[in-house]
This record gives sequence, C-alpha cells and structure tokens, in this order.
Amino acid sequence: MRTSLVAGLIFANARDSMLKKLTLNRSMASVPFGARYRVIDFALSNLVNAGVTSVGIITKENYRSLMDHVGNGIAWDLDRKNGGLYLLPPYITRNIKKYTDTVDALYGAMDYLNRCSSEYIALCDSYTLANIDISAAVKSHIEKQADITVLYSKAMLPEASAKKLVLTMDEDARIKKTTQTDAFDGAAYSIGVSIIGRELLIRIIKDAYDAEVKNFEKDVIPKSLSSLKVYGFEHKGYVAILDNTHTYYQASMALLNREVRQDLFNKERPILTKTRDDMPTKYGINSEVKNSLIADGCIIEGVVKNSIISRGVKVQKGAVVENCILMQDTVVSNGAVLNNVVADKEAVISEDVVLKGTPEHHCFVTKSQVV
Amino acid sequence: MKSKKCVAMLLAGGQGSRLGVLTGKIAKPAVPYGGKYRIIDFPLSNCTNSGIDTVGILTQYKPLELNDYVGSGKAWDLGCSDGGVHILPPYQGQQGGNWYKGTANAIYQNLEFIERYNPEYVLILSGDHIYKMDYSDMLDQHVKTNSTCTIAVLDVSLEEASRFGIMNTNEDGTIYEFEEKPKQPKSTLASMGIYIFNWSALRYYLTEDEKDENSSNDFGKNIIPAMLNAGEKLMVYRFNDYWKDVGTVESLWDANLDLLNPKLNLDLSDKNWKIYSKSTGTSPQYISDTAKVENSLITDGCEIYGNVDYSVLFKDVTVEEGATVDYSLVMPGAVIKKGAKVQYAIIAENAVVEENAVVGGDPQVVGSENWGIAVIGDNLTVGKNAVVSAGKMITENVAEGEKI
Repeated sequence: MRTSLVAGLIFANARDSMLKKLTLNRSMASVPFGARYRVIDFALSNLVNAGVTSVGIITKENYRSLMDHVGNGIAWDLDRKNGGLYLLPPYITRNIKKYTDTVDALYGAMDYLNRCSSEYIALCDSYTLANIDISAAVKSHIEKQADITVLYSKAMLPEASAKKLVLTMDEDARIKKTTQTDAFDGAAYSIGVSIIGRELLIRIIKDAYDAEVKNFEKDVIPKSLSSLKVYGFEHKGYVAILDNTHTYYQASMALLNREVRQDLFNKERPILTKTRDDMPTKYGINSEVKNSLIADGCIIEGVVKNSIISRGVKVQKGAVVENCILMQDTVVSNGAVLNNVVADKEAVISEDVVLKGTPEHHCFVTKSQVV
Repeated sequence: MKSKKCVAMLLAGGQGSRLGVLTGKIAKPAVPYGGKYRIIDFPLSNCTNSGIDTVGILTQYKPLELNDYVGSGKAWDLGCSDGGVHILPPYQGQQGGNWYKGTANAIYQNLEFIERYNPEYVLILSGDHIYKMDYSDMLDQHVKTNSTCTIAVLDVSLEEASRFGIMNTNEDGTIYEFEEKPKQPKSTLASMGIYIFNWSALRYYLTEDEKDENSSNDFGKNIIPAMLNAGEKLMVYRFNDYWKDVGTVESLWDANLDLLNPKLNLDLSDKNWKIYSKSTGTSPQYISDTAKVENSLITDGCEIYGNVDYSVLFKDVTVEEGATVDYSLVMPGAVIKKGAKVQYAIIAENAVVEENAVVGGDPQVVGSENWGIAVIGDNLTVGKNAVVSAGKMITENVAEGEKI
C-alpha cells in the first residue's frame, strides 16, 4: 500500500498556559482564531495541502473541544481507511504518566510512529499561524540529504513575543548554533515546524527519553548539530506565533491587513475548518461596519469597527463594538458599548453595558458569561 | 435491503429555460441562491430534517455541476450506507433507452430503484422551489386520512390562480377535480408539485400511463386525472409558509431579496430547521474602512471596499472602492471594479464588471414598461465604461464603452 511520503504530528497543548483564560477549558490547538478557525486548522491544512494523508495529534489534557472540532477529520479529507487522523492522548502505563514536554510526548506516540509507513515526519507546533508550503521544505530536506530540517522565519515579531530559538546558519543554511533569546531583530528564528526521517526520529526519541532530555527543539536539536546534518528552511510568507494574550490579539488584528489575508488564506493552499452551515451574514438597515473581519451566520444591526467577529455573533441595534474580538455566538445587546474587549464563545453582553479595556489590557469576557 | 417507510424522488432534470444564461451550463436545481446555497439544498435539507434518508435525484439536463455538488450526499447528512442519495440519470437497457419524456415517465423508468427499498409511500419533489417544509407532517396526514395520494397546496390569490395547477376540493379536503392553469379558477389552492403516493397505487398508475402512447407522461396532466377518474381518494395538504417558484429571472431575484424582508418567514438561521449546503473553505468576509454596507446578506470570502445596499453577495465576491451594488445578486467569485454601478441586476459566477461600467437600471428612472432585471452570464466581462441597460440578458462579453 502506497502511503504519503510525509506523515504529520501536531503538538496540541504546547504553550497552553501562555494564553491564560483562552485555554482554561481548551487546548492551544482549539483556541478560536480569525473569526471562523481554530488554531490547529493552520497546521492541519498545511499538512493536508502538502499531500499528507496521515496525521497524529498529540494531546494531554483539555482535549474535549479539540475532539469536537477535528472529529474524524472529514473537514480536512482525513476520514480515510488508509492513514487518516489519529488523536494521541497520554497512554498511561507504568513508564509514562502525563506528558511534561515534547520528548516524552513523542515517546508516547511511539506506537503511531512505528506503525506509520511514511518516510518522513513533519513535526508541527499548533501555535504557529502561517500558510506554510511544507512540500517545498520536504523537497529541500531531500535535496540537501538533511537529517533534520527546521523551518524558520526572519519576519518581524510583535514586541511582546516570548523567547524563540534563533538559528545561526552557514551559507548553505546548515545550522551551526542555536540560542534561546527574545532579541531576534531580523534574525532567523524557528517557527515550530521541522522535517525529520521517521526512523531517525524514533531512534533520537528513544535515546533522548532514556537520557531524560526534555524538549525536542530546545534540547535535542542543539545537541545534534555536530553529529547530524541539521538545516534551516525559510518560510518567506506571513507568520504569527501565539505565545501570550498580546500576541494573540495582535495576530488577530493583523488579519485586517489585506496582504496578511491574501498570504494566510492563499487560495492555492486553503485553510480548512469544520463547517457549521450558517447562513450568510445579515447586515441590517443603518448598520455601520468599518475595517472588520466577519464570519458567516452573524446578524449585524449596530456599529462594528476594527474588530474580528466570529460565526453566529449578534450585534443589536444601537450597540457599538470597536477594537474587539468576539468569538462565536456572542450577543451584544441594544445600547451596549464595547471597546478593546475579547469575548469568548457564547458570551452575552446585556443592554447598555459599557465594557472598555485598553490596547494593552483587554477586557476579557469568559465563555458563556453574562455581563 | 431493509424496507423503507418513505422514499423521496426529486425531479431535478429541468432545464429552467426561462432563466436563460443562468442555466446555460447548469441544471436549474444547481442555480445559486441566498449567498451560499443552491436551489436543491431546500428539498434535500427538508428531506433530512423530515427524517427521510433515501432520496433518488432524477437528472437529465446538464447534470455535471449538479452531480458534482450532490456528491455522496454527506453535506445533507444523506451519505448513509443504507439509503442516502442516488443520482438517477436516464439509462440504456436491453431494449435501448429513452430520455425522460415527462415527470411521470422519469419515475416510471426508475421503478426498479424504488422497488429495492420496497417503501409504503413515495414522496415526489421538484428541485425548483424555495421553501421549508416538514414532509413528515404531510405524511402523517396522508396516513391518517387513508388517502391514495396527497398533494401539497398553497392558497394563492385569485389573480395568481390561473398561473398554477389548481385543486378543486370538497369541504373535507378531498380533491374532485384538477385544473391546469384555469382561466376562471374555481378555487385558489395551487399545487406545489409535492406529492405523496401509496407506492402500490403509484406503480399501478405509472405502468398504465406508460401504455398510453398519447399521454404526455406528466403527473399533473395525466396521473392525477387518471386517479380522479378511477375514484381514488386524493387529498390536499395545506401549506401556509413561504414558498416560491424560482422559474424566472425576476422570481429568482425576488426570492433572494425576500431573505432581507423580516416580514416574510424565510429564516435560514433557524437551528431547528437548518438548510444545509456544501461549503468549501474560504476566509471570512472583510468590510473595509471605505465600505458602506446596509440591509444586505454577505457571505464568507467577500472583500467589500465599495457600497452595498439591499443586495445578496455570494462567496468570494469583490466590490472595489467607489463601486455601488444596489438591489442586486452577485454570485460566487464575481468582481465589481472601481466606480462601477450595479443595480437591479444578477451578476453570475466569476463575471467581472470593469471600472465605471453600469449594469441595470432603476424602475423609477427607466419606467416600468422598459424595466427588468439585467443579467450578466457567468465568466463574462463587462468592459470599462460600458452600459448594460435594465432587463438585458448578456451572454457574451461587453466591450469597453459599448452600450447595450
């Protein structure tokens, strides 16, 4: 049976804690983003767009909403007899408790890695929001006869970004040195996606696990630079990396920029998500909408400016929404005024309520909360 | 094969010639509607919402797009292994084959399909109408009244009645006469083209009708009159909700703009009666700083920089800065460029209206005698500064500056 050349493994819970309230009851992978997506849609679509037909999702906790979202993988054509989608929650045995980092997580996915017959594995962190040409990275990996290829970007990152793995490379893009730093002005930094031979990965992970090494990117890669051929591959398009609530807000608002939308929602490599069969969005008489990204299924009768509005949101007459991220099915009642608010799913803002955050400190409304 | 209580047969082979260029390449049931739907989504969603899981779709005219769209039926939860949707085109048998000669003949040629499920009842539907209807309620009435055939009817005005097939009924709702487009209607109960038959009776009457060489093999003209003559019990099922035949350009336009009228009960956001459609991945819609959007339906993938009022925009439509779209339907992928003016028009899929072109006209300006909906066919271009007047149907590219 022919299988795809590459199989994917996605880390669903990486950096969960950094998004605080957004990940109270969900994994990083299932955080809503961009009005109709979940964060994991980007990694899943990137893999599928590169012809990947087998994807494992490594998760350890809070994965109910993730399971709900990915289902059997049908939205990404991963409902397959051969390959398909595998959810890999902790497999608790005498040896493994709950994953603490990527090495033990990959060790826990050993059955998947052993059974999978693809030659290469694409390891993807879910917090990377980019439309990545994984086929091109794999092609470079094969041409350079690399052992590991780490995808990197040189694009500017928001000031609030957390530390990244900065790569120092020779002219041939072979990685010579890595440093953990938050000073990456114009430097090449890892975007959390790498390509590696499956059998090599199995070997490395077994050794690393026995040696109690913790993190694949921070620990395993730096130690392998002399013994293995580790190359960088540049992702030249737009990238956003979610590492705290600020970068989440900034990455969301960046979608109001046309170039960012054109790059991220490239029609040749579409970002796919679970569909909801909403009707188109209805704009009422006297509604006023400016510079906003809006998904289907909304009813907008009030004022919306500079905001990201998810599926099924209702903004009633006389309500004003500015600089906000409203997740699905939020209701903003008549006369309410919101500025710099992030409202999680199904929140209800009652009549004439005024909620104002600042660009630095957003007012956050938790899921299903009635204000 | 397990027996089914009720199998639906959906007549989807019609050309819809009155829709002109809009059905030049596709069958009428595949015509886009309401931003993200196609007409066939309505009967299919009604089936699944009514608990009917076996649907035969009879196709004939330009079936490619329709077959593609329906696919396995998964989008309507009709992808089940026991039942589900089946596309039924005309076929060749040992004695040769025929195109579907009429609505009744289309079903007759597929008796074998219905037999496989050995149902008690057969529901006949057409793919030409926009409405939400619970077929299970109609079936309940059919069973309760012990009828041989039940026909869904809509109470129309006396003026409209002469455009429809009219059911003349007794007080208890039994039908004593059927009149096709009567000049002097005796009743205002118009047939909606939705029938429930007892399977055994339907098989009998279809087989008899097929023997008559002079028959036009049509439900309204032949089968229903034959059943009335034989003294069978035929009942009407009264339907009081929104229903619209979208057979003409104007009725298609109307039915779309009806979605913006809160007084009409055509709510597609009802979670208990969803209208499903096959959606493909596209980004959310973006409304820019320079845009003015009011009283409109806009779908995922649209990029709006101009003015949109009282219109329905389908997915992936672009309206550039300074362009205006009023009282119009703009179908998937169409582009309205800078300064263009589109009013009272239907712009079909992937058509381009170039800068400062004008399409369509306001009835109050052009006068009602000269007025109509302007239609631009799919993948066509209306050149810069060109003018397409009200009511024109465009089937070829319009050159720069040309006036039609």
